Amino acid sequence: MTARLRAPGMPRAGLGLALGIALSYAIVLPVRALYGFEPLVDGDAVTIVALLAAPFGFLFGLGAFDYWFYWASGRPTRPEDHSGHGATSWRDYFRVNTDHKVIGIQYTVTSFFFLLVGGALAMLMRAELAQPGMQFVSTDAFNGLFSVHASILIFLFIIPVFAGLANFVLPLMIGAPDMAFPRLNALSYWLLPIAGTMMLLSFLVPGGSFATGWTAYAPLSTDAPLGQLFFTIGVQFAGASSVATALNFLVTIITMRAPGMSFWRMPLLVWANFSTSLLVVIATPFIAASQFFVLLDRALGFNFFVPDRGGDVLMYQHVFWFYSHPAVYIMMLPGFGIISEIISVKARKPIFGYRMMAFSLLAIVVLGFTVWAHHMFVSGMQEWIRVPMMITTAIIAVPTGIKIFSWLATLWRGVLHLDTPMLFALGFLTMFVLGGISGVMLAMIPVVIHVSDTYFIVAHIHYVLFGGSLFTIFAGVYYWFPKMTGRMYDERLGKIHFWITFIGFNLTFGPMHLIGMKGMPRRVADYAEQFAGWNLFISLASFAVGLSTLIFVYNMVASWRGGPRAEANPWRALTLEWQVSSPPPIFNFDQIPTVVGGPYEYGVPGAVHGVFKKPGEVAPAPAGRVATAPKKE
Amino acid sequence: MEAASVAHAEHHHGPPPANQSSRVEPQLLGMLLFIISEVMIFGAFFTAYFFIRVVQGEEWPAAGTELPVAIAGVNTAILVSSSITLHWAESALKRDNRFGFKAGMVVTFLLGATFLFIQVNEYVHIGFSPQDTAQGSIFYGLTGLHGAHVFIGLLLLLFVTIRAFRGHFSSQSHRGVEVPGIYWHFVDVMWIVVYTSVYIL
Amino acid sequence: MLIIGAIASALGIAGALAIDWFPKVGSTQADDIDTLFDVLLIASVPIFVLVQSIVLYCVWKFRMRPGDELKDGPPIHGNTALEVIWTTIPALLLVGLCAYAYVVLGDMEEKEPNTMVVNVTGEQFTWTFQYPAENGGKPVRTNQLYLPAGRPVKFNVRSKDVIHDFWVPEFRMKIDAVPGITTEYRITTTRDARSYPVVCAELCGLGHATMRQTAHVLPEAEFETWMQRKRAEAQNT
Repeated sequence: MTARLRAPGMPRAGLGLALGIALSYAIVLPVRALYGFEPLVDGDAVTIVALLAAPFGFLFGLGAFDYWFYWASGRPTRPEDHSGHGATSWRDYFRVNTDHKVIGIQYTVTSFFFLLVGGALAMLMRAELAQPGMQFVSTDAFNGLFSVHASILIFLFIIPVFAGLANFVLPLMIGAPDMAFPRLNALSYWLLPIAGTMMLLSFLVPGGSFATGWTAYAPLSTDAPLGQLFFTIGVQFAGASSVATALNFLVTIITMRAPGMSFWRMPLLVWANFSTSLLVVIATPFIAASQFFVLLDRALGFNFFVPDRGGDVLMYQHVFWFYSHPAVYIMMLPGFGIISEIISVKARKPIFGYRMMAFSLLAIVVLGFTVWAHHMFVSGMQEWIRVPMMITTAIIAVPTGIKIFSWLATLWRGVLHLDTPMLFALGFLTMFVLGGISGVMLAMIPVVIHVSDTYFIVAHIHYVLFGGSLFTIFAGVYYWFPKMTGRMYDERLGKIHFWITFIGFNLTFGPMHLIGMKGMPRRVADYAEQFAGWNLFISLASFAVGLSTLIFVYNMVASWRGGPRAEANPWRALTLEWQVSSPPPIFNFDQIPTVVGGPYEYGVPGAVHGVFKKPGEVAPAPAGRVATAPKKE
Repeated sequence: MEAASVAHAEHHHGPPPANQSSRVEPQLLGMLLFIISEVMIFGAFFTAYFFIRVVQGEEWPAAGTELPVAIAGVNTAILVSSSITLHWAESALKRDNRFGFKAGMVVTFLLGATFLFIQVNEYVHIGFSPQDTAQGSIFYGLTGLHGAHVFIGLLLLLFVTIRAFRGHFSSQSHRGVEVPGIYWHFVDVMWIVVYTSVYIL
Repeated sequence: MLIIGAIASALGIAGALAIDWFPKVGSTQADDIDTLFDVLLIASVPIFVLVQSIVLYCVWKFRMRPGDELKDGPPIHGNTALEVIWTTIPALLLVGLCAYAYVVLGDMEEKEPNTMVVNVTGEQFTWTFQYPAENGGKPVRTNQLYLPAGRPVKFNVRSKDVIHDFWVPEFRMKIDAVPGITTEYRITTTRDARSYPVVCAELCGLGHATMRQTAHVLPEAEFETWMQRKRAEAQNT
């Protein structure tokens, strides 16, 4: 038993967790005794310290820091023996694993778990909203439901699931044996379950879960019950996780590309994650700071948001949105990357305007930092900020439009393979346009004055995050499922899943535009009688969406266990991840491939993207050399 | 001692060596990107400072309080000189001057620790608390955030110093000194910005 | 192809405009905003129709047919002219819409003579309305909002605790009630004497959903009588 507690792993992690909690008492009690605070044992104070200390105890026990401690203590350098790399049984997914493929699956499965949780919370909300008046939950519990729903799905589903998919395929795509910092990669994964567990645990504390929305506006959040701090601190862990991953992606992309893979030969998924990672590294510290302010105000009585003492309430919103608007692109750009891969492969054509696709990603990164205050048009901020923000917000639709039109042009005259990934990609294309259009309407100050904080906003955000991001996630999961698991998914169930989701989604969120315009505010547990009909309709449709997700889960689980074996390259794709076996070998490649052409040269006779020869040897010149292939037609 | 790392190489089949597609080393690039992130978190705290002091137009420092500009100035000098001694230690290492390297690391660490001690002492004697006013909150917020960075930086320096005394690093292998060193220089530069805006302006 | 697109767009625009989108018009500002929204619909529907019809056409025309399993499409890498077109046209369209929105915004916020001032205070979970004192009298405070028909009104909005948002959907205007500062907006009520809901649109805690009151717009004369009575009551307390 002691041996198990000394070796890194789950038992020691449990011990670390307990020690972390014990440590919190050990810190809080003496401090309170010293200052003469009453009562000596204060649940709030201990919980706050434990929220910070216990996760570190857990991570330490799990072994996330072992190697670094070893290094720091000045012992002789330990050679990398790859003992933490790869998975042979399911147990290997529950330890610190440095293999990017294992981490990718850990990430994806964990975030889909949180999708189901977040979805279940949405179902509860729709049940309550099916009729006016209060039926199932109290108003406070309802506020908790939508707050946790949004926080979980944003911080523990959409952002990390993209990091998970990219974790799996990105090193393979650029011909790298792993990520640049495998141990940091493992740590960034293990921060996630901590953040998610924390947010869910908030339901159990006195006063209920945090109930101030995912935006947690001060001063509502600074004098909310204890549950609020589970968000405030949970977000720090999720944020640290995404900064660490982003840093890792950037370094990997810059320093570990295969020979011959110049920036202009990178697949667009790599470009998309490059852009996203830039956003994450630059923007995420702002939400960390905003939550630090809330924490300091709430726990230690600071005055950042106390107007009587010189604090500024609107400052919270500026700092928060300076992260959270770029976060919208953090939640969308990787999806753009996935769609580019799928549309090109499934239409059997090169992506139209490859360079413009990459440039428009970078344009979105830059413009993304100039629009944050469009979330604050009715917040009472200085009026002169509004018009410049309206213009930048409208302009950001231009690079997005370029991408949409380029995808359409890629479809044109292609040979469209209409299987599940492609259906979701096309579903994305049609739905995201609607989300984009309502986005442009929302840029117009006079319109947004009327519809901000209404169901019109709820509709818009779900058209971009559900019809946008989630559709790309489904597309990506179906597309890389054979590569990740070595099995094929069930095509028929996949198509059923698509059609129910697509129709149910539109029936759910389409009418929300109307009731929002008509005057139904968002985040309400109860509403005026006039909206009863539409709300019942929306609730029923949303249950269909919920059910369709179960089909997806069944398809994934059953196919992973017993689906037919997948070939190395079932889609006949050119990018490097498809040139190795399914699932890929433990170290990805026996030799690093050499890249000799663009990633999307479909239709070019004999085109090859990468060849598996050592760089020194002469690669067999593919017929019709791709590098010199005509750029225009 | 570095030689210990060679032993395992043959009996294990590892991954193929990755292609190095950039002249920048991964560790260096990682640290630079991390520093960008750090600059942004300071940026967020400076945003709060800007809103309280400029947008709200609150008196600075709050009425009836004073900031010990002179003591903090001396403290700034201490921190800046620690950057110089760190540079000295690094160049000694590059010439394989082990005594100079070790002495430089110890002096740097002590200077950094002195800075932190004086900063804490300043908190004790300054005469206002973050609970009094928003100005107090952001004063403690900014200096405290910086203090936390000094603390982390000191930990990194401590590790380097321990390893220095155990005979690690040489003129050929000094990345383990350089990367924490960059962080320490960043902490110093950041202090100059904090000192200028909070104490002087 | 073009004709089909034009017809589809026309039908789409007709359909989008046929939907009864708006609450009743309670202020002159509402007309401006509704018109702007209609213009936005007219501008967006063709884009939406364009994308949908291209996708549907591609699915119908270019889908893989039996025997095509191993075929590839033509290797088209791009077309500069096309890319320039679909960068500039949307940009121009958007700048145009912004300019129009800017003009509308200016109209909406224009200061009118003879403006009545109402001080609105939000607190968890109710609104209070205060009509400033006149001629040395006391100010009038009420729980329901009363306004004269056809008169410019300026609301000064404050909050006692957390952020609220003062919204009357029929006026189309809203602004946050922010602790520590006073925010404001102006409307001009229409001639119709009607009652509208007053809604809190910013999450403010437990009772946010129930923070609903009523705004009564009364004919000028009736409002004056009401005001006289209230002023007298205020004087006597």
